[in-house]
This record gives sequence, structure tokens and C-alpha cells, in this order.
Amino acid sequence: MSDEVRDELKYTETHEWVHVKGNTAVVGITDHAQSELTDIVFAELPDVGKDILKGDELCVVESVKSVSEIYAPISGKVIKVNGDLEDTPEIINEKPYDDGWLVEIEIKNKDEINSLLNAEKYKGLL
Amino acid sequence: MGITSPLHELHEEMGATFTEFAGFTMPVQFSSIKDEHLSVRKQVGIFDVSHMSNIWISGKDAAALLTKTTIEDASRFGLGKSQYTALTREDGTIIDDTIFMHIDDRYMIIPNAGMSNPVTDWLKKQIDHFSLDATVENVSRDYAIIAVQGPYSQQVLQETTDIDLSKVGFFACSPAKVADKECIVSHTGYTGELGFELQVTPLENGVSIFKEIMKAGKNKGIKPIGLGARDTLRLEKCFLLAGNEFEGGRTPLEANLSWAMNWDHDFIGKDALLKQKEEGDYQRLTCLQCTGKGIPRQGMLVEQDGTTIGVVSSGSMSPCLNTGIAMAYLDHDVVSIGDLVNIKIRNKFAEAEVVKPPFVKKDWSET
Repeated sequence: MSDEVRDELKYTETHEWVHVKGNTAVVGITDHAQSELTDIVFAELPDVGKDILKGDELCVVESVKSVSEIYAPISGKVIKVNGDLEDTPEIINEKPYDDGWLVEIEIKNKDEINSLLNAEKYKGLL
Repeated sequence: MGITSPLHELHEEMGATFTEFAGFTMPVQFSSIKDEHLSVRKQVGIFDVSHMSNIWISGKDAAALLTKTTIEDASRFGLGKSQYTALTREDGTIIDDTIFMHIDDRYMIIPNAGMSNPVTDWLKKQIDHFSLDATVENVSRDYAIIAVQGPYSQQVLQETTDIDLSKVGFFACSPAKVADKECIVSHTGYTGELGFELQVTPLENGVSIFKEIMKAGKNKGIKPIGLGARDTLRLEKCFLLAGNEFEGGRTPLEANLSWAMNWDHDFIGKDALLKQKEEGDYQRLTCLQCTGKGIPRQGMLVEQDGTTIGVVSSGSMSPCLNTGIAMAYLDHDVVSIGDLVNIKIRNKFAEAEVVKPPFVKKDWSET
């Protein structure tokens, strides 16, 4: 079981990571999440421009055996999605924190960032 | 934790991830489902399927009991022969599918995991009902079951056994010694590849045999294979899975088992099936291959021109074809090979083509 946790990121209890970049946040799934899913064969990403609320289903990631819903860690507008995942979804397994990012969101409510877990708290869950 | 296999510790040592299936805790994968799947198609894989059931049927009317309770006439299968068949209810629906093997003067059947008690009870009931001179013995807890499948399976298994496997033709079965332990070998499998299955008792011999076959197959790249790849392998060949293709009442006609039906004998459910055959308007199991992205899953609806025409019974990503594949029960006479349908995947539609089974052809590994 892989359990890399990056100190500079924020996390959710449902194993998403958030990289805050000023007004936007990039979202992905953690190393722990990708190793539980094993070979990811498909990622269904939201449309750019979609408004989402924290806790909404953001996207779906599938392995051969299972379908996993990924939930929005914060509210906002989807401004970018990772197009590379269409042809090579397995990047999520290989580089969950880098090239395997899922979606970039324009942050609606900065307070929601504060309620995310820091790396230490997330490590405690694993 | 469910009932564990006699090989459980061995699986743990090999780094398996486990899953619950029909009350059993079994390995779902060792390395990766895709990797294991392709290893079986290209080289050889070894499976522990000890969760499946083993029942001995013996006595003067052993063949008669099987003949009465399945869609096959067991008396046609002499010593050393086996057959794939289905047990049916009075209304023609499938109770379970199974292989039966004619060994010595008895038959062994291999019902699915979790079905050993229902099938044993059913058979005993029919013995009474038809006053047959037969005995049914549920020995599922005493047997380990190992499958060796793939282009190199015969070569690898041959190194460990005293019988000449080239003389065990397709669907033949024979007592044999593997790793110097007695067992029953059958030229059968659930992957569509060349392969053999071993019924082993007592349980601890299953461990020795598994280890010996792994050793013999090392230079052929043998891998242990979990239930994850077992499912994708059978789906690519359009084999049925209990709980998916038959559950809640499907008949052999609906499940595309007409080829396995012998109409020349009397069996439970025959009248209902004859009627269904004559009426002809039943749903049929159909193979669908996605033309684009998206993975169909069990329970998803299939539509054509905006109308629901059926439902997916099994769906996954095909590791060989790298596309979504599904088996679905579709309404009578609405599609032909080559037609396009839409599978409703969450709130989107994925186009799929009706294809002739199997999804992955026999010579795939050579292409």
C-alpha cells in the first residue's frame, strides 16, 4: 500500500488532495487512494465551466473492477480539466500528485480551504 | 472475514489483496488485474478456486439423477468425460451452472461458490421425488481446486504430473498424480485458453500442488491469478457468471445455452422450456462492445432510439481490447450483429456495437 503524503498540500477524509494556487485550487486523489483503486482505466471529468458545491460528485475514476466517485473538496467553478487522462488514465496511478491531477477549480469560498485537513492530520487517518 | 481457502497463507505470502465473494475470502489480485489477465492469455497463470463447490453423485441411478436435473443427458458421457451443463427448476430457470465429470463409477459436479448446500438439497429432494437409487455427498470443504490456464499451461502442468496430458482431450477428465499427490485432472477452464483444472483432497495437498506448479512454471513466467482477472478473462469469452447472467430467473434459452441443451431426454423444466422455445419472444444474452470511452457495468440500461431494450448483466474494461465490453439481456428481435445501441452510464450514453461472441478470439495472443 502506497502512502506518500505531501506536506504542502491540503487533504480531505475521502482521500482527495488540494493544491491552493491563489484564487484557484488543483484537485487530485492521494497516493493512498490510487493504490486502493489499482489500475485506473478510465476517468470521467466534469465539463469546464461547471459550478460545483463542496461535497458534490466532481468526477468518477474507474479501475477494471470498480467505480469510484470523487467528491468536490471545495465549492467553485471548474476552469480546467486534465485532458491527458482521456488517453492515459493510468498517470493517476503513476503520479497522483503531479501529472495525475484531475481538475482545477476557481475558489468560491476561501473559508472552505481552512476546513480541509493538513498533511499531519491526513497522515493520521491512514 | 469469510471462509478462507486452504491456500490462504500462501496467498498472503505472495502479496494478494483479498475480497469477499459468496461468503469466502479469496484473492482478488496479486500484481494487477490487467497484468494477470494478459499473463494468462500470453503465457500461463495459476488460480486458486477452492471456494467453488464439490459434490459426489454415486449409485446405480447417478447418471439418471443428473439426466433428470440438468439440460444434458449424462448417460451420453462415458468414463473420463465431462460436460458443462445447467440445473433447472420446473419453470425452466437456471439454479446453477456446473461441470460434471464421470470418474470411476461416480460423477463429480462443481457448482458455484456458495451453492453447495442449495444444490445438494435440491438433488436429494429429486432422489426422493423420483425414487432414484443414488447418493449425493457434499465434499466442498474437503477439496481444494486449482486451475492452470494459458498457452503454456499443458507444458508446465506436464512437468508435475504422471499422466500424459496430451491424451486428456478437451473436456476429458482423469485421476492423476500431480506433485506426487492424487487428484482429478480435467481439461476444462473458465478462461477460454488451453488449460486444466485439478480437484484435490485432502486440502493440504492443494498447497503442495500449487507450489510445485509455480516452481515448474517459473521459466514460463507463471503468475498467481486472482478473482479480478478471472472475471475479465471469462467476460472476454462471454462465459456466464452466477449472480450476473442468471439470478432471479433466467432460462438456458435466454442465457444462450441452446448449444448445451439436449432435448432428447426428460428433465425438470423441459415443458416450460419447450413452451418458451415455441413462443420465441424471450430476451437474449447479447454481447456489446463499446465504440468509444466509458465502461459498462452490471445493471446499466441499454437503449436504442430512445427506448430501453434491456439491461447489462456483466460489464468491464477488456484488458485485451482496451475497450468497454458487456453482456446484456436484450429484448427479442430488436438487434442484429453490427447494430449500434446506447448504454446508459450514469447520466451519459456510451455507444456500443452488437458483436458475435467471443469478444476476444482464439488466436488473439498471436496477433
